[in-house]
Amino acid sequence: MISVKDLRKSFGSNEVLKGISNEIKEREVVVVIGPSGSGKSTFLRCLNGLEKATSGTIVVAGMELTNPKTDITKLRQRVGMVFQRFNLFHHLTVLDNITIGPRKVLGKSREESEALARQLLAKVGLKDKESSYPDELSGGQQQRVAIARALAMKPDVMLFDEPTSALDPEMVGEVLQVMKDLAREGMTMVVVTHEMGFAREVGDRVIFMDDGVIVEEGTPEQIFSNAKEPRTKAFLSKIL
Amino acid sequence: MDTITSSLPQLLQGLWHTIGYSLLAIVLATIIGLIAALMKLSKFWPWKAISTVYVELFRGTPLLVQLFFIVFGLPGAFPVLNQIFGPKSYPFIGAAAGLALNEGAYITEIVRAGILGVDRGQREAAESIGMTPFQTMRYIILPQAFKRMIPPLVNQFAQTIKDTSLLAPIGILELMYQGQIIVSENFEGFAIYGTVAILYFIIIFIITRMAGYLERRLQIDKR
Ligand SMILES: Nc1ncnc2c1ncn2[C@@H]1O[C@H](COP(=O)(O)OP(=O)(O)O)[C@@H](O)[C@H]1O
Ligand SMILES: [Mg+2]
Repeated sequence: MISVKDLRKSFGSNEVLKGISNEIKEREVVVVIGPSGSGKSTFLRCLNGLEKATSGTIVVAGMELTNPKTDITKLRQRVGMVFQRFNLFHHLTVLDNITIGPRKVLGKSREESEALARQLLAKVGLKDKESSYPDELSGGQQQRVAIARALAMKPDVMLFDEPTSALDPEMVGEVLQVMKDLAREGMTMVVVTHEMGFAREVGDRVIFMDDGVIVEEGTPEQIFSNAKEPRTKAFLSKIL
Repeated sequence: MDTITSSLPQLLQGLWHTIGYSLLAIVLATIIGLIAALMKLSKFWPWKAISTVYVELFRGTPLLVQLFFIVFGLPGAFPVLNQIFGPKSYPFIGAAAGLALNEGAYITEIVRAGILGVDRGQREAAESIGMTPFQTMRYIILPQAFKRMIPPLVNQFAQTIKDTSLLAPIGILELMYQGQIIVSENFEGFAIYGTVAILYFIIIFIITRMAGYLERRLQIDKR
């Protein structure tokens, strides 16, 4: 589903990703952990072209992202992204937030888009909020709408960049529950998070990143209980 | 008092011209400002350069000089202007164009600030669902930028109304010029210019009140 070969990314003279290679299979749930500034967000953002790779190749859903001829908007329709700060469209209602992609990007009718949006809202437990504006919702509710907005594009892959770290603790559970449901339905997911419970429960693989490289990867069990690399152990001892 | 009541019809006629030129200028200026702002924010440097030169030129020189240059200067160097518009109509068109270009330069900065004021995450979210840069601007950025732009735009509208008084020296029969004509006949400068000032004040007062109201409204439902 996603194939990354020797991905490098620099901001000016600052090399942030120093040669990342990885294969992510269909239906796989990959959890990315690592200290702040290690390049997790940049890695994720490279996967849907929000950041342009400096070198290396990225193939997502059969499209080569790093080929300048690829229509990046087409690729992004296949890759959903959920941001730490939700980034819901402030001027649109919850329903319009979800339908604007299908309508304007995929060219679907309003009726069809709204029917799909209501189905997704029911799925994330926000049926009664369709005419609210984002600023009237709690953080947890906003993040669930953001997930529904991404799902409305029927993506092949979902990317999550610390989806619960801007939330009050009591709201983390409701968002993780939606993500767990998605994982169980077979969605291919790449999740940057420090929620170890989530990683253990639905993660197929954990990747530990530090200083722009993948230091170690394995099953949640291997990483959390039997990490081999000293850097991994040091990081885990700080957060567990 | 009699001098005022007897000259009021003529002054009101001038006021209508003032309002007409102001409306025309602000509509054109908003279109110009939107285009110039998008050019200025574009990554393509020639667009950026053209827009920057335009804004600097029109903000960096007096409006009166710009109006004289466009109305009386340009037709001398480009007689084709008179041929296209007719020597009788060209001054009116030139005056409206000059005013619109001048206000447009200020509106460019208002629009640009409005666009830049929209959180970067909005653009990223729009792009992440596959929107093109045009769709992102059209459906996500501009609607949000526009809400922030309303108060400064209304203020610029008030400024435009004041600026139309500079059309008097080029012979447009707006409020100020009508006042001058009346005074040249009855020499009642105090009463007439006083009335002219009050008429400007009333219009601008109404508009700035509207701006204040809109600003409060937008603060209440911040969306
Ligand atoms: N747009 C940017 N411009 C310059 N530097 C950036 C930019 N985005 C990220 N960085 C730098 O890249 C490094 C990795 O950042 P990031 O990918 O956000 O790490 P993480 O998500 O693991 O905390 C940091 O040093 C950060 O300062
Ligand atoms: Mg990050």
